[in-house]
Amino acid sequence: MRRMLALLPLALVSACGNPDARTELVIQRFFGACQAEYGAIADPGKAQGECGIITAMINEFEAGNPDIKVVENTVFWPGYDQLTAQLAANGPPDLVTMHSSAIPDYEARRLLEQLDEDLAAVGISPEQFTAAARAGVTVDGKVLGLPIDVWAPLWHVNMNLFREAGLAVDGKPVLPASPAEFRAHAAQFRQRTGKPYLIQITNKDFAAPTRIFYAWMLQQGVPLFRDARHANFDSPEGRRALEFMKALYQRGDSARNLDYAGAVSAFLKGEGGVMVDGTWMVGQFDAASGNERSPLFRGYAVRPFPFLFHARRVALVDGHNWVMPRNARRTRAERAAARRFLQYFAANDFQWARTGHFPAFRAVIDGAQWRQLPHRGDIAAITQIGEPLPKFVRRQSPIEFIVGEEVAAAYTGAKPVDRALADMQRRANGILQSY
Amino acid sequence: MSLCVGGRPARTAIMLTAIAALIMLTPMLWVVILSFKDNASLMADTRSAFLPPWTLANYWSIVGEGQVFTWLMNSVIVALAMTVGVLLLASLAGFGFARLEFPGRRFLFVIVLLGLAIPEQAVIIGRHQMFSAAEMHNTYAALVLPGLSMPFGVFLMTQYFRAIPREIDDAARLDGASRLRIFWKILLPLTLPAQATLGIFVFFHAWNDYWWPMISATDKDMLTLTVGVAATQMNFAQAEGLGFLMAQAVFAGLPTLLVYLAFQKYIVRAVAGAAGQ
Amino acid sequence: MPDVPAMRRSVTWNRWSGVLFVAPYCAFFVLMLLIPLGIGIRLSMTRGDLFGIEAFVGLDNFARLFADPVFLQAVWNTFCFVLITVPAMTVIGLALALVLNRTSRLAAILRAIFFASTVLSVTVVALIWRLMLIPEGGLAAVLARAIGEQPVAFLSEQALALPAVAVTTIWWGIGLPMVLFLAALQQIPRDLYEAAALDRASKTRMLFSITLPAIRRTIALVLVVEIILQFQLFGQPHLMTGGGPNNSTRPIVLFVYETGWKQWQLGYAAAAAQVLFALIALAAMAQYYLSSRKDAA
Repeated sequence: MRRMLALLPLALVSACGNPDARTELVIQRFFGACQAEYGAIADPGKAQGECGIITAMINEFEAGNPDIKVVENTVFWPGYDQLTAQLAANGPPDLVTMHSSAIPDYEARRLLEQLDEDLAAVGISPEQFTAAARAGVTVDGKVLGLPIDVWAPLWHVNMNLFREAGLAVDGKPVLPASPAEFRAHAAQFRQRTGKPYLIQITNKDFAAPTRIFYAWMLQQGVPLFRDARHANFDSPEGRRALEFMKALYQRGDSARNLDYAGAVSAFLKGEGGVMVDGTWMVGQFDAASGNERSPLFRGYAVRPFPFLFHARRVALVDGHNWVMPRNARRTRAERAAARRFLQYFAANDFQWARTGHFPAFRAVIDGAQWRQLPHRGDIAAITQIGEPLPKFVRRQSPIEFIVGEEVAAAYTGAKPVDRALADMQRRANGILQSY
Repeated sequence: MSLCVGGRPARTAIMLTAIAALIMLTPMLWVVILSFKDNASLMADTRSAFLPPWTLANYWSIVGEGQVFTWLMNSVIVALAMTVGVLLLASLAGFGFARLEFPGRRFLFVIVLLGLAIPEQAVIIGRHQMFSAAEMHNTYAALVLPGLSMPFGVFLMTQYFRAIPREIDDAARLDGASRLRIFWKILLPLTLPAQATLGIFVFFHAWNDYWWPMISATDKDMLTLTVGVAATQMNFAQAEGLGFLMAQAVFAGLPTLLVYLAFQKYIVRAVAGAAGQ
Repeated sequence: MPDVPAMRRSVTWNRWSGVLFVAPYCAFFVLMLLIPLGIGIRLSMTRGDLFGIEAFVGLDNFARLFADPVFLQAVWNTFCFVLITVPAMTVIGLALALVLNRTSRLAAILRAIFFASTVLSVTVVALIWRLMLIPEGGLAAVLARAIGEQPVAFLSEQALALPAVAVTTIWWGIGLPMVLFLAALQQIPRDLYEAAALDRASKTRMLFSITLPAIRRTIALVLVVEIILQFQLFGQPHLMTGGGPNNSTRPIVLFVYETGWKQWQLGYAAAAAQVLFALIALAAMAQYYLSSRKDAA
């Protein structure tokens, strides 16, 4: 009896503890949860969309690696509040999804593991990454993650409206090549269709207007940041970009009062010619173009941003990566498991690129398989000219938000352009000089 | 007894209130209807909500999320533990502050009242550091204990204990009842409406709390329903999956509504029947 | 013969035993509220992020705050919001409680309806009201068109965005004051009304001479609680407007969140949180002082 009692705690411990001897790999990601639809699917080829594809990929990895138990935390996008809290509590997961633009913040605090050796151990060389993907994960020559994609804001075009407006030749959209041409196209579009040329987000989701502003600035050949502590928004180039966009808005050539969801819905309803949004929408808009009840039926095209200013051919990109937060308690076995997980993702980059994002590996971009996916040929140029923000700039995401807030205030006339530029400059510098 | 029992003004007032209730209800009905629509058609046009086909798919997506019942259990455990804990602590302290004399009573009460003004943002980092130091994140204790310090309960119970006529305890004291007995047997039952009110408030606060559970409980087995369900939201590509979100709202909100319905009879007892008895 | 030491002991015991009733709560109060607050106050005098303090900067963060137009605007927005919502919540909550304080089935249903919105999470409240208020296809726009008016973009107009957030908040939170008032009405001794009825007092008179005085403590309680809750406005503007347009809906807590968690300026955020604490304490104390003075008078 006494022996049995003595055994009881042991039995309890083993019942509550990990009954299998498998290595536990804790991964944390955004992209949503969709177990109901994809929980049983272990073939990424059969999945659609970011959530479906990543779920199926992780399922496939688990099936192929029975000695690894994957614990998957799904977090509300973008999940950095949790990650930061976990790091402060010394309990971060083994691998986390992270935007390229967030890497400098964590690296500055030495919170990420350098992965050069880990990647090399499973046969991955940074040489294999595209230039943009490589720039996205590299800080001071150290590779801090495995890029899984590169994404960019794009011009999603409603070709049915473009045809009506006389802005299509051979089924292809005619895009402006200068500010004057843009003005003329927009006027013609409004005249013939009665709708605004541009659908852009100006409410609540302020990162969106920033991307247009950044693009026009970069095309004028100036940097967005003078150095790590100073933005360059309050400059002649910034003024030119903002004044141009404000005039467009004031003339009625841009939809108004839309937040993210509203803008997507407006584009799907055919309420404007061009929507500025990221690579992740390609799949969904393409699907709409196959639906005969959609205003986009047989009328969807997508292009990189047109070049209005010709000092520099460049497109601003960001990307998603797997990074490994530092954790003193991580065992060698766990790190080895993480390595195999990265190896799997590198090998299946094509599957992830079906989401609409650009592949992170050159071999996939050069391969026929990717080019045959819908619309990829039309935007592939970005893989040549795409560039992330420089790594010496920290706090990129909150600065993007501030810039957008000020841009939107200038559009509506809530404040004059000069004030908006001065304010975004001051607020961004305040952040850059706070650490 | 209500302000206007019987008569025309009463009927007018309740009619007006009923109309206001309909206006209140409109957005809620919208939530429910949207939860039965598939996301793709909603994205094209939210007005399609009022036309068939309707579907249970959104609810299946929630239930199919293997963890959702674990999260539900966590939420129930945390909300119940916090409710019981706050009711107990606040009743004791409320009685103490309202009915007993001891050195420093006024001073302590003022300090607790000042505590009411402390916003969560002013303490959350400190709490997080304390629980980190104690290695207590990802436990029920970490989810429940901070809530027990809520000064609102003490404030509420003190107010209600003060509102009870003194004669009641005086009579009991003359009968030789101890303080604990006066508290437990005589006064506590009289605060039932306040207990129910506070209970609902705490339960609902614990249930909907988002910020603290999100940064403290990061193990997926320790998530509460509110945090867990929020994380299942799609990324931008699926444009927020409106119907799915609404189904989440109904699913996560229903338990608190049930708790309210169960408690409301204690808040409003049989007014007419009890009168004069 | 009376046992003198025992009596003295019992006097001391009587004098101090009351502490035992408040001690359990006070332990939590110190541990979970005061100590973290102390940590927060210390942080407000530093520069650094969640991963460590880089430097002690004294009161620099506070000086910077009071020169930061974004923060000053946030303080202003917060005050405006409190001034709109708190009186509205109190008056509407009281009116509902007065009308619905009865046992009829209809009243029970109506009470449930007015409380039901409270159970929704802020995510859903924000989403649904965004949908109601958007000028294209939103319910408000449909109504405006029906009466021949141009739909208004509530969340894009500087003058209207904050009131729109306030209406959303009242819709969401009206259940709590209603329930608090209902509980208070239950405690009014019934014989007061019976006596008044014998005196043939009018309903209005009963309201002003019996009901309102009897629940004055609860009115004070609701005011204080609502002041505290509404000063901490966060989720609604975070999810409905992002603080815009042109910083017209950014409250202090959103400012704290953005600077602390998004911009990693933890010390600066902690300083803003302490300012918020001071403002709430002042407002709540002023309110409490005023109402207790009325009590004494």
